[in-house]
Amino acid sequence: MSSATSAGKTPARVTFSYLTSNSLGVVRKLNSVLFPVKYSEKYYKEILAPEVEEFCQLVYYNDIPVGNFTCRLESEPKGRTSLYLMTMGILAPYRSRGVGSQVMKALLDSVTQSQSPKIGRIYLHVQVSNTAGKAFYERHGFKEASVHKDYYKKIEPGDAWVLEKVFTDPSVS
Amino acid sequence: MPPPSLPIPAKRALPSKEATLFRELLTLYETRQLKKGLKTADLILKKYPEHGETLCMKGLLLTHMGRREEGIDLVKKGMRFDLTSHICWHVFGLIQKGEKNYEEALKSYTQALRFDKENLNILRDSAHLQTQLRIFDALVETRHTLLRLRPNLRQNWVALAVAYHLNGELDEARKVLEQYESILKDVPDYDVEHSEMLLYHVALLEEVGQFSEALSLLDTNAKARLIIDRTAVMERRARLLTKLGNVEEAEHAWKALIQQNSDCRDYYKGYLSIKGVDLDTMSEEARQETVRILRTFSEQPPKATVPRRLALEYSKGDEFKELVEPYLFSGLSKGIPSLFVDLKDLYKDQDKQRVIEELVEDASSSSTPSEPPTTYLWSLYFLSQHYLHLRQYSRALNLLDIAISHTPTLPELYTCKARVLKRSGDTYGAAQSLNDARLLDLQDRFLNTKCAKYRLRAGLSDEAQEIFGLFTKKDAPTPASDLEDMQSLMFLTEDGDSHNRSGRLAMALKRYVAVQKTFNEFEDDQYDFHGYSLRKFTINIYMNLVSWEDQARSHPAHVHAAIEGARIFVRVHDNPALRNPQASSGQLTDAGKKAKKRAKKAAQKIQEDPKKTATSANEDKGLEAPAPKDDDPDGTKLLASSEGLEIAAKLLQPLVNLELPSIRLWVTVYDVAVRRKKYLQAVKALLHASTLDPADPEVHVRLVEIRKLWSILPQPPAAPIGSTTSEILEELIPSSTNLETYNAEYLQRGGTSASIVLSAAKASQVLGAPEDEVSSMVFNLFNPDVNLSIKISVEALSYLKVIHSPRVDEFRSRLDSKFELSTIFKPSSEFEAYRKQAIGSSFDMDGGEYVPQ
Repeated sequence: MSSATSAGKTPARVTFSYLTSNSLGVVRKLNSVLFPVKYSEKYYKEILAPEVEEFCQLVYYNDIPVGNFTCRLESEPKGRTSLYLMTMGILAPYRSRGVGSQVMKALLDSVTQSQSPKIGRIYLHVQVSNTAGKAFYERHGFKEASVHKDYYKKIEPGDAWVLEKVFTDPSVS
Repeated sequence: MPPPSLPIPAKRALPSKEATLFRELLTLYETRQLKKGLKTADLILKKYPEHGETLCMKGLLLTHMGRREEGIDLVKKGMRFDLTSHICWHVFGLIQKGEKNYEEALKSYTQALRFDKENLNILRDSAHLQTQLRIFDALVETRHTLLRLRPNLRQNWVALAVAYHLNGELDEARKVLEQYESILKDVPDYDVEHSEMLLYHVALLEEVGQFSEALSLLDTNAKARLIIDRTAVMERRARLLTKLGNVEEAEHAWKALIQQNSDCRDYYKGYLSIKGVDLDTMSEEARQETVRILRTFSEQPPKATVPRRLALEYSKGDEFKELVEPYLFSGLSKGIPSLFVDLKDLYKDQDKQRVIEELVEDASSSSTPSEPPTTYLWSLYFLSQHYLHLRQYSRALNLLDIAISHTPTLPELYTCKARVLKRSGDTYGAAQSLNDARLLDLQDRFLNTKCAKYRLRAGLSDEAQEIFGLFTKKDAPTPASDLEDMQSLMFLTEDGDSHNRSGRLAMALKRYVAVQKTFNEFEDDQYDFHGYSLRKFTINIYMNLVSWEDQARSHPAHVHAAIEGARIFVRVHDNPALRNPQASSGQLTDAGKKAKKRAKKAAQKIQEDPKKTATSANEDKGLEAPAPKDDDPDGTKLLASSEGLEIAAKLLQPLVNLELPSIRLWVTVYDVAVRRKKYLQAVKALLHASTLDPADPEVHVRLVEIRKLWSILPQPPAAPIGSTTSEILEELIPSSTNLETYNAEYLQRGGTSASIVLSAAKASQVLGAPEDEVSSMVFNLFNPDVNLSIKISVEALSYLKVIHSPRVDEFRSRLDSKFELSTIFKPSSEFEAYRKQAIGSSFDMDGGEYVPQ
């Protein structure tokens, strides 16, 4: 099947799009397949907020939605802002193809480019059984900050690593 | 205006002051200064209250101002005072034309012309009416008169040619154009109108078969830059050269066209046609030559799909495999959703079908890491459609489930699953699956509409309206009324069918009649073009319009609506209890009640409307009669009409005129005619049907029925009709036939066909067999050698209900177990649960709603 392999060589297109209320069905569908957690209606309302537009997107592989990432902005003491990565996932058949890294790169770019608010750090939870997940984030500069005991209520194991990446503001240093 | 041809009667003559006022009145009307016009008319009428022409003009003004009834009364009054005035008749004609009563309007215009033979306005309007009514010989005469009166007007020449053309006198038409061209002077450069006229002349010559004259006319004028539509010149040139057999130049011409638009199938077909290529009759050498040519085109830039696809049609065996493989894999890796639809035409050839199946099976047997997972996904999708096409529903469903668990976010997988479920008789599951697809992209109009359609298929009329309502005008009384205004044939047909299946005959009829009305509007719409197209010299496209209009009613939506509408009247005639809305609506669901309430509200709103508009009477409302208010919002009055069969006959008449080759049409015409005791019409219809297929099951029942009926008729119709009917009937089924044997033999011949088994059962019921015998004949559908489809099953089930068989429920439950995937044969007590399932989603989510951006 010579022609088939030659077609396979054309690089796949990975693209992103902002969420709208009309594409929320895809996000719901992906979440239900990707994560063992059922997300609340409040979550689905929050991710549509215009402030987080850059940080909540759908991921397409050859024009088919195969993943998403969603974040929430959190204010911290001293007027600093953190970005909490709520979900990030790619459908199983599309993993190990560099899609995740492209997603992470796009997300980190958005974070560093964000001016108002300026984002001081990005952090997330990873279930302690998910070593591959942890390794992925560490490759992208995340560090283990702590272990959150009994973070998950309904799944085992309940503990989670808190991984974070801190950005130093060039204007301060 | 030319001087009147008759002496002015005393009562029309006005003194000079009023005569001036009257002339003023005419100008005011021409310029649509309605209010001023009305004042002027009143001034004249104050002194001469019986002046017919003024009365008519005042009536016309009032009609324009929306005071229609008052206006028409005045026009009629004015007519009575002055029956020999062309103005009065003209006004009357205008009013009738406004009511779309073209026949009567033409009569009035003809009267007007008697009193003012050379009135240009009236002549022009008459010509339009004659075209609308297709009275072409009179049209030629009118156009002649117009040309004689105004030979300096260019359009009058072309109009006469067109009139001759429509009347079938092509040679006369050609002569008119030739003479016109010979006297024409000073044509400006790049004149589109003149270019169109010349192209029309070329087309005319082509139509009469004078190809070389056509070609030289085309070439001369193209070179002189008088014909400026370059593409049209090239296309016609190529076609004419082909018809003339000028192979070398034709080849060149088609190649040039392909260069210009390499995605136009017709160009390749044209190119191949000079090679004497015809797929059905072509020789082996010609076939190979064709493939060779197409391969050459495929390899040349610009890279187009069309020659590759065409080569698949002409190639065979190993060469086909060699060509189809890259075609398939480029489609699968690009993710072209329509790939299967594009290729399924090749399945006519069993070998090609097998080759494609093998190739895609291979590709989808595993997901190889070297290829993007989407290629694997699209091949699963392709294969699902493939097995759906081959009616291997379980296999298709399995593949779709694999695909959905691989990538659950591709709407196409859910729409395909919906189609598989629909075909396997699970209309509720189908509606649910399409809702799943819709939830993935709430702003996709296609998915929303399709979902609404599937809900209608599942009998969920109200739930469907909710979705249709997302895209209709927000201030429309109901989504349905807006869709009717928008002439959505899909909606009217599907909603009508949905009501029809659920036994809500009145609403079904209402929708079918709305389809009919839409086509009436199509027919009326052409009127303006009779004037406009000639004025603008868009003649070529206008000729297409006229012939399209003549065939418009053969459109499938119109045919379907007319036949199903007529069949409802037949059913109601046979069982008058269906007329009763309670009986016909069956169990009125909550949804049904809600719909009824809404329809009532809508009707009220429409009734309130005229009041609102009547207050502002100053602007021009035109002459078109406003749509009468709907006093039958749910169709019950129409359904209960005592003239149902006559209305049915009228519904069918346009199709009878078109002599459509549809068995269902002719048996319906028969059903209506035989109940109206129009026996000659009935046997003629049956003859039509029988010519199409003498062994058709629907024809068989009726042959038996009419033969039986004829033999026991107390008094045959009078001489000419009676004997002609007899003769045709004798031809269809001889009087010596033993009908029982005839029916038994029919069954024996076609006993494995479900529709024949059912038809024989129906025929034996016609012949007086007892109900239990008929029922058990229907139950023979379950014999293992009978190929029973869902469609026939549904028909058989409703037939058992019609003959009040006590075994209806037994039949239903046997169908339920026979068609495992189906839900349509479930007991009605389970309906509510299925309804909930159908409008829900298989995803874990709340029902989404489309939000306009």
